[in-house]
Formats: sequence, C-alpha cells, structure tokens
Amino acid sequence: MRMRRLAVLAILGTVAATVSRAGAGPSPRFERNIKVGIVDTYSGPPAVFGNDALNGFRLALEEINRDGVYGARIEFVTRDEKFSPEIGLSMARELVLQERVDLLVGTINSATALAISAFAREQRVPFIVWISKSEQITGAKGHRYVFSTSENTAMAGKALAYALARRGYTRFWIGAEDYEYGHAVTNSFWRFMKRAKPEVTLLGQTWWRTGEPDLVPYLTQILQARPDAAFFGTGGAGMANVLRTMKVIGFAERVPSAIHTAIDVTVLRPLGAAAPEGVWGTTDYLFYYPESPANREFVRRFQTVYRDPPGFPAFHGYITAHFIAEAYRKARSLDRERFIEALEGLRIRTPVGEVEMRACDHQAALPLFFGRTKRDPQFPFLVAGDLLTLPVREVMPTCEDIQRARAQGR
Amino acid sequence: MDSMAVLGQILVGLSRAMILFIVAAGLSLVLGVLRVPNVFHGSLYMIGAFVAWTVAEALEGHPARLWVALAAAPLATAAVGLAVERTLLCRLYQREHLMLILFTFGVMLILNDLVKLGWGPTYRSLVPPEELQGAVSILGVALPRYNLVLLGAGPLVAGGLWLFAHRTRIGKIARAAATDREMVAVLGIDVSRVFAVAFGMGCLLAGLGGALVAPTTSITLGMDHTLLIESFLIVIIGGLGNLWGALVGSLLFGVAHSVGLLIWPQFAVAFPYAITAGVLLVRPRGLLRSVW
Repeated sequence: MRMRRLAVLAILGTVAATVSRAGAGPSPRFERNIKVGIVDTYSGPPAVFGNDALNGFRLALEEINRDGVYGARIEFVTRDEKFSPEIGLSMARELVLQERVDLLVGTINSATALAISAFAREQRVPFIVWISKSEQITGAKGHRYVFSTSENTAMAGKALAYALARRGYTRFWIGAEDYEYGHAVTNSFWRFMKRAKPEVTLLGQTWWRTGEPDLVPYLTQILQARPDAAFFGTGGAGMANVLRTMKVIGFAERVPSAIHTAIDVTVLRPLGAAAPEGVWGTTDYLFYYPESPANREFVRRFQTVYRDPPGFPAFHGYITAHFIAEAYRKARSLDRERFIEALEGLRIRTPVGEVEMRACDHQAALPLFFGRTKRDPQFPFLVAGDLLTLPVREVMPTCEDIQRARAQGR
Repeated sequence: MDSMAVLGQILVGLSRAMILFIVAAGLSLVLGVLRVPNVFHGSLYMIGAFVAWTVAEALEGHPARLWVALAAAPLATAAVGLAVERTLLCRLYQREHLMLILFTFGVMLILNDLVKLGWGPTYRSLVPPEELQGAVSILGVALPRYNLVLLGAGPLVAGGLWLFAHRTRIGKIARAAATDREMVAVLGIDVSRVFAVAFGMGCLLAGLGGALVAPTTSITLGMDHTLLIESFLIVIIGGLGNLWGALVGSLLFGVAHSVGLLIWPQFAVAFPYAITAGVLLVRPRGLLRSVW
C-alpha cells in the first residue's frame, strides 16, 4: 500500500517537473549582446578602488562569456566620473541615451551613486551600485530601479556596534572626515551603538576635511580627551592617513579604535609597515578568509591575471557580473522590467558563500568580517586577526527598518 | 584643560606650520619677484613627494635613503620649474595676470596628468628610517620623532632665504625687483636671469615641502589641492610677496589650527578659513607689507 502511494507520488513529481520545464519553453536566444554601462572613478586617489572593481568584473565576464547568456555576450563600456556627481550624471545620461546600454553600474562616489540612482528611476533603467556605501542608496532613497552589491554604512555601523557593545567601553570619541560617507558611517554606528548599549556616551567629536594631510594635531587632541574607545569615519587615502598617524603616535595602544574597512587589503597593503597593530575593523571581503575552496579559487585566478590579490571592490565587481548574468538567465529576456523582477530575491554562489539580493530593498545580503589588524610573517603588510564572521541577520537592517526609512524619506 | 596640553598642542601645530611655510615661501617668492600667481606650485609639491618616494624606494635599505630623497626631490622640481619657465613662461611676462593664471593652470593640469601616467593612481607610503619612527613624549604629548626634522627644517629654510635675499647679489636684485621692477630694468640689469633664479628657487621650495611631508602622509594624486589653497591663503594673510609674511602667516595658521582643535574639535573644518577671514577683516592687505 505504502509502496504504491510512494510510486504514485514519484510519478506525479516527475510529471510536474517535466510540465513546469515544458511551460518555460525551449531556451530563448537573445538577438543581441547585453551592454553594461559603467560609470566610476578612474582618476585621482579613488581610482584604486574603481580599477579593482573593474578587474573583478572583467574576470567574471571571462567566465560568463565562455558560454554566454542564451547566445549573448555581456559587453561593457566605462566612463570616468572623476569623483564628481555632475560629471557622473552626464556620463550616465550619455550611456543610456546615446550608447543605449541595458543597465548602469557604478560608482565609488556615494553622491554620484545617488544622483545616477534618481536618473535611473526616471529613465526606468536598472542601476547596480557596487562600491559606494551610503545606506541611503538602498535605504531612504531606494526604489525599484536601484540595486547594491556593496555592503553599506547601515550594515557597517550595525556590525561594529554589535561587535563593540560586548566590550566594556562607555565613553566614546568620534573622529571623521567631513563628506557623505564619513557622516553616513558615523551616524549609523552611533545610532546602532545607542540601541545596542543605551548607557554609552559621546565624549566629543572631531571632523576634518577630506584630504587633510596632517592628522597629528587631531589625534593628539583626542588622546588628551582620554575616551574609552574611538570610532573613526574615514575611507580611502584619508583612512591611510589616520592609520599612519595612529601608528606613529601610538594611538591604538592607548585608545582602542574601530574603523570600518580598516582591516581591508586595499587599505593595509599600500601602508605596509606604516600601519598600526590592534585596530578593529570590518569589511565584507578578505582574500585570505574564509579559507574556502571557492574563495581560494577566485583569489588564484584573480592573481594569475592581475598579480595583486583582490580587494573588496574586486569582489563586488565579480559578484555584480554574476548577478547580472544570472538575472538575465532567470528572466529569459532582455526586457528591463523582467530583469529587475528576476534580480529580486536572486541567490548566487560567490567566493564567500551564497549571497541573496534581498527583494525588499535590493541590497545584497552580505556577511561582514570583524577583526583586528596584526602582523603576519606571510605578508609584507598587516592582515586581520581574531576574525569573526558577523552573520547576515546581525548585520542587515530589517525590511521594516528600510520601509520606515523610505516612508520618512518621502 | 591644562596649560601643558595647550603647549603640547602648539608644538604639534608648529611642525605643520613649517611645511606650510616652506611651500608658501616659494609661492610668495615667485609672486613677489615675478608677479606670477603660480597655480602649478601645488603640483610641484606633489611631484616632490612622489620623487622622494621613488628615490627612497630605489635606495631601500640604505641608511641615508631619506636624506638623499630629501635632496633629490627639490632638485627635480626645480628642474621641472626651470624648464617650464625658460621655454614658455619667460615669453609671457608682459601679459596680464589672467593670462598668467590660465597658463600656470594649464601647466598644473598637464603635470597632474603626467604624475598619473608616471606613478599611477595608487597611494604610496614612505616609511622614515628606524631612528625617526615612533614618537617622543614632550610636555605630555606624543610628538612624532620625524616632526623634529620638520621643526628643524623650517628655521633652516628661513635662515637660508634670509641669507639669499640679503647677502647675495642676485638675492638683493630679486628683492629690488620685487619692490620696483621697472627701476631694476632701467638700471640695465638682466631681469630675465633674476626671474629664472627666483622661479627656480620657488619651485625648489615646493619640492622640498613635498619631500618633507612625504613620510608623514599618504602620497597620492590630489594631495596638491589642499596645500595649494592653504598656501595662497597664507600668502594673502601674510602680505603678498613678503617672505616674512609667509612665515608669520604659516605660524598663525598652523598653531591657531591645532590649538583651536583642542577647544572646538567639531569646528576644525572651518578654522583655516575663519582665521583668514578674521585677519583680512582687520588687515585687508595682509599682516605684513605687501610688495604689490
């Protein structure tokens, strides 16, 4: 009796599977190639990040274009936005209206990303943000046409607050660079810190211009205030300056310090021996951690082509290309609206494990790694030690948080 | 707040003031003698930093690598400056200021692109030699050892400039040309040669500033912007073309900035501009006499 029921179930299952596959019809054939328009910074200090992301993207395209997507190849064109939102916006306009790209990708500059995002919404063109980290992109200012494959300031702030709240610090000092990212990451950290540990107090805060060459006066002033711990909102070359100054005046030994991306390779490698040990940081990608076969393979292939190990932008560029290819495979069409629906909730395999493009806010749900800078004889630069993986549920703002932020934004 | 903290913070501010002085003095010299607002002065500062890095990198492991780098970088920028002056700029002295600004602005764009071609977009670090790493505790403040070099370099450059302006023939002529160039020309002196020397020295100082700053910061494209603006502000508050004005301006700028930080850290961004505005409200032509 039981055997017969099982057999019937099995037959029904097979039939259902066959029917559903038949329902999708034979594989379509795309009549043209897919064209991606990339707007990013390829000049000035941020070019390091723009180039790294592009390298990761190119590497993924090699894999994708070997078989193609329903007979189509993914092609791309790049435009240099020179770290200016005005230039970035006009480049995006040119790519959509003249070059007729299928979708836009970019940029390291949060302000540019927000400007292009508004344009993409108006033109109904998908736009995937891959380096810039302002939480507004998929938060308060998110919409149907914008996606992000980069971790953002909300995630970073929440992760650092989560990791630091368990330690005994209550009196904090905040030092930050006066620009979109500096404000965004600082606000987010402090918001989540207050939530995680209501008794924390802000002893004071110090702001400096981007590109401030000499941070010794700023850091000695913070040292003299004697906070329990310090949080720094800074990135790129500015980050390098903070770390170098910390090392020289022995800051981190006296005031425990945390900075988002301080443990990142793109930050630590150029500093070499000038980076301080013992600084806490978070990042969403490390080439030496986790030591999974997928990550090892990605790093090996990246290094064969580009010599240097991949930084976090390369990882973002790599997963962006795979998200695009998978979404087109799932959509079975070059239609923009169907591409968006396919990308929503899409899960792909990446070097750090499976990553989902969350449907509610179009934000890639990435785990973050928390660790402390330390010396390692294997490398000529500092790496992260005491690593902890902060799971997606501890890092991502909830869909309700996002809805609230969007309602307030309107 | 204890007075020791303030004294310590002044010391920290002084070392930054020395870099500002060296670069601003070069700008002021060119502005005074040649009447050229040299917009590519900042680019030379950046080139100085990159050359210093390259030289130090090439001499990796050599005990004197930093000192060789500090000597080579200013010579390189002086050579670049002189090449521009002798081939192009010297033909433009009769033109109006706007033309000169446009010309030097154009050279700035070209030089910055050449730096990008030559060194690429990644930022570099020049690690100072072992004995200059770390910090010393002075007045309870951790002062980077390397900043002692800066504190020494400022007075040396100031002294050298004084000797040049008052003890050498060409320096005296340069000073005279700064005050009244027609008179100097009427006396039958070849002003062109004086201009070349003054311009070369200005560019040398820009490169020296860049080389001196290299071990303290990220050597990167775009590092010229902030410094160029600050140098112009210093030259303006000190009195256009007045070398001692550049010194007074930098000291005011550097020290007020670092002490102000101790008092209102959250307004640190606005300090340099507030100081400039304050000085110009009281003395619209700068603190010391302008040669213009």
